[in-house]
Amino acid sequence: MKSYKELQNASFYDANARERAIAMVDKGTFTELLGPLDRFTSPHLPVLGTAVEFDDGTVTGVGLIGKHPVFVVSMEGKFIGGAIGEINGGKMVGTIRLAEKTAAAIKKAHPDEYAERRPMVVISFETGGVRLHEANAGLLAHAEVMDAFQDCRKKLPVIAVVGSKVGCFGGMGFVAAATDIIIMNEEGRIGLTGPEVIEQEMGKEEFDASNKALVYRTTGAKHKYIMQDCNYLVEDNCGAFHEALKEVAGLPMDKIEGMRRIGSPAAVAEQMKLVKLIGDMQPKDSMDMWKHYGNEDPAALPEMTTAEFLKVVKRRPRN
Amino acid sequence: MEFKSTRTEWDTLKKDTQERMKAAAPFVKEGKIVDQKDTVALLEAVIKPFDKVNIEGNNQKQADFLAKCLCQVDPKKIHDLHMVQSVLTLPEHLDVFEKGIAKKLDMSFSGPQAGRIAEFLREGKLELGAIHTYLELYGRYFVDLTPKVALVAATMADKDGNLFTGFSTEDTPAIVEATKFRQGIVIAQVNKIVDKLPRVDIPGDWVDFVIQSPKPFYIEPLFTRDPALITDAQVLKGMMAIKGIYGEYGVQSLNHGIGFDTAAIELLLPTYGEELGLKGKICSHFILNPHPTLIPAIETGWVQSVHSFGGELGMEDYVAARSDVFFVGPDGSMRSNRAFSQTAGHYAIDMFIGGTLQIDPYGNSSTATATRVAGFGGAPNMGCDAKGRRHSSGAWLKCGEEYGIKDQLFGPELHRGKRLVVQLAETFREKLAPGFVEELDAFALAKNANLAIEPVMIYGDDLTHIITEEGIAYLHKCRTMEERTAAIRGIAGFTEVGMKADPKETQRLRELGIIKTAADLGIDISRANRSMLAAKNVHNLVEWSHGLYNPPAKFRNW
Amino acid sequence: MALQVLNFKFKTEAPKTIAKKWSHLGVTGSGDLEVLMEQKELGGAVTAKVVTPVKGFDAVWEKMLGKFVNDCHVGDVSIEINDDNATPIVVYMRLRQALAEANAKEAE
Repeated sequence: MKSYKELQNASFYDANARERAIAMVDKGTFTELLGPLDRFTSPHLPVLGTAVEFDDGTVTGVGLIGKHPVFVVSMEGKFIGGAIGEINGGKMVGTIRLAEKTAAAIKKAHPDEYAERRPMVVISFETGGVRLHEANAGLLAHAEVMDAFQDCRKKLPVIAVVGSKVGCFGGMGFVAAATDIIIMNEEGRIGLTGPEVIEQEMGKEEFDASNKALVYRTTGAKHKYIMQDCNYLVEDNCGAFHEALKEVAGLPMDKIEGMRRIGSPAAVAEQMKLVKLIGDMQPKDSMDMWKHYGNEDPAALPEMTTAEFLKVVKRRPRN
Repeated sequence: MEFKSTRTEWDTLKKDTQERMKAAAPFVKEGKIVDQKDTVALLEAVIKPFDKVNIEGNNQKQADFLAKCLCQVDPKKIHDLHMVQSVLTLPEHLDVFEKGIAKKLDMSFSGPQAGRIAEFLREGKLELGAIHTYLELYGRYFVDLTPKVALVAATMADKDGNLFTGFSTEDTPAIVEATKFRQGIVIAQVNKIVDKLPRVDIPGDWVDFVIQSPKPFYIEPLFTRDPALITDAQVLKGMMAIKGIYGEYGVQSLNHGIGFDTAAIELLLPTYGEELGLKGKICSHFILNPHPTLIPAIETGWVQSVHSFGGELGMEDYVAARSDVFFVGPDGSMRSNRAFSQTAGHYAIDMFIGGTLQIDPYGNSSTATATRVAGFGGAPNMGCDAKGRRHSSGAWLKCGEEYGIKDQLFGPELHRGKRLVVQLAETFREKLAPGFVEELDAFALAKNANLAIEPVMIYGDDLTHIITEEGIAYLHKCRTMEERTAAIRGIAGFTEVGMKADPKETQRLRELGIIKTAADLGIDISRANRSMLAAKNVHNLVEWSHGLYNPPAKFRNW
Repeated sequence: MALQVLNFKFKTEAPKTIAKKWSHLGVTGSGDLEVLMEQKELGGAVTAKVVTPVKGFDAVWEKMLGKFVNDCHVGDVSIEINDDNATPIVVYMRLRQALAEANAKEAE
């Protein structure tokens, strides 16, 4: 295991779920809940002859950022593509519910200090969505997570962190969109239908999944950042994510509410405006949109480092 | 004795060609240019049944448009062709057999079409002459397999038929020279017809027709390996190779076979190699395609020269900017040449190292599987001891000095070196397929495809070293076949071959230095992980190249 | 179809248990495995439980784990492995890494 210091400098993209969970909170503060020793493995996979994992592919636990308790869910893409089944789905829901309960308890015990002690939920997504081996339970978990998000609204922030190999696709793409704030590195990707599935259904002419440059400029963080689907674009190291989370932990709740993409009449109106614009423009490529928002040389953007990109990029204006 | 010739005509080939050229004349526009829509008609005019025809199918560059057009000729007019070409990669290369346009095949390598060749052989749709190495086939182009018509690919042409093949020259000179100087016909598909070429790679009077193809020729980035996919086990084998072989023998000139094992070695040179103080002592001269994973070693001053069989997509600008290292023309771009590179690989390098699929207890190794006629490409020319070699070098002499049966072969006094031929094998590959077997699948394939000889890539008598995660076997040091088999079993791990190892014999061979484990070499297994690699992903390679490497879209994650 | 569960017991000379009470390493990814090691009073022996989708490699697992226990002189340790088609070298390297982790002092 890398030391905390090494982890802060290490690539978030290369880090496994447990390393990410430990590194996103302050040094030495992470306590895992339902860890490997509890051996909570899937009851469905053995009969199908599919390998199991002691944490069912998702690390859950609690740590601190300053005085803020941070409830962490961290998905492992190497285990069945990070897909959500009964156990890891249940762990995810339970962690969010625990955060909500903790928020209520803190509000009661420290009514004057709620702002500095306000808990948060941080989910490091690395998943293609529902685990097909246990699809009903997996789908149910998606719904329960969305429900739990609603119950956290305006009480405590729910943060999506996307920056791992598998990206965040399928039903979990919806789930990520329903959080308050999305933090990504350049390598992060969010979408609904995965590139390979689009190619399979619509043909290579519609979407060539082997053209990774195309995949990244359609689902990748730079595009999401320009379109305001990603709130923070950070360098690919665990420390950069930790820093961004520190900033978010201190933001007032109404400001956080304003960073959401969906969930209010104003946000719906903004999304509808975007739908109309796309209908009018008929863009052929993400770069058409980048140009529309004032990026004169869109082809140069993918080649830039994160720092260069952040310096020059022009984003979709929000209302 | 009466000095009387038995024949009176000595230019029948020429006359035959002239006749065909006459039939093709209506399709020629300006100079030697033929419109792409007339291509099928042109082929029907110049090709006759039973002709030997070459479709330029290289390891990389493909004359894909001409291959497609050949499939469209009327099999009633053109049939029973004898295809002589090094690589069959495209479906069209076999469609000509399916349609009855071609009947016989002589080739080197088939890659993705290997399964279909085996199927066609069984069904009698195809007669196979032989599976050659590249050099062997080029040699036969000048003996008994000279093409009557060659369908080649070039990057650019002018109206006089001069060709620019540039970075992707590959097999073109060998094919064109053999064809044209036996009075044959050369047709080139080109990406672009221009007024002035950057340089002339093939002179226009060796070329009869040029056709601008609808799309640039197909080329696959075959030699690019994403460092992100290199495993810890490959790092371990790489460290063992560098310390136990490269450093041990001081290997200065070499070829790396394609694969993640050798990519790992390339990326370990600036880290582990540097730590061992080997810079300047190993790896100065490569015969190698422009592997992107070699960039960090080039940038840190390890590599003096690289000559390439072919190009590699995305490496054009990097190679052009490193003309001290690569072979770059007066126009500023590289010229590859498979025939010369293979010749160098056969005679002028001290070591070949590459991966394989199966090794038997005698040290024969093969990539053949029971139902695929895949061929060898160039590996056997480099993976053998060149009998004609007469220059010496440190590594070559040391390996020869250690040769266990040297005295029996040459007497006690003679100095004769030996090429290092190294196979990297994992005892089990993905899905637990064993890397060591009692009988090679090549035997089953020979039976299934009715081949006269088992398609062995590297014969046991040429193989000097095997590296597995269990250790290195220095096979050339063995004095008997029993000893050689014991050495192989000793590093074959838990495969059926390895399970038969006698631990006492393995221990004896370790004491003799015929087997060395990672521990014997002083390598700490816990250090063998990806953090040792000089580049961890394709993005790092771009950074090492100062932005000169332009990876194809499929290797990008940005 | 179902997963295989294999149980083994080993004994070696001069065994030593691990420094931590328990330790975990690895991910059950394709071609990989996770290892859970726990201190356990076993009279110097090592127990190993392997859960794997691969059939027909029981003897290889036994030899592999036996080699690890002998090479590293491990005792009074329970090892549990969830495997997904790891090759023997991957198993051996992960076991060595897991043992190093189980004996490591917490770094800064």
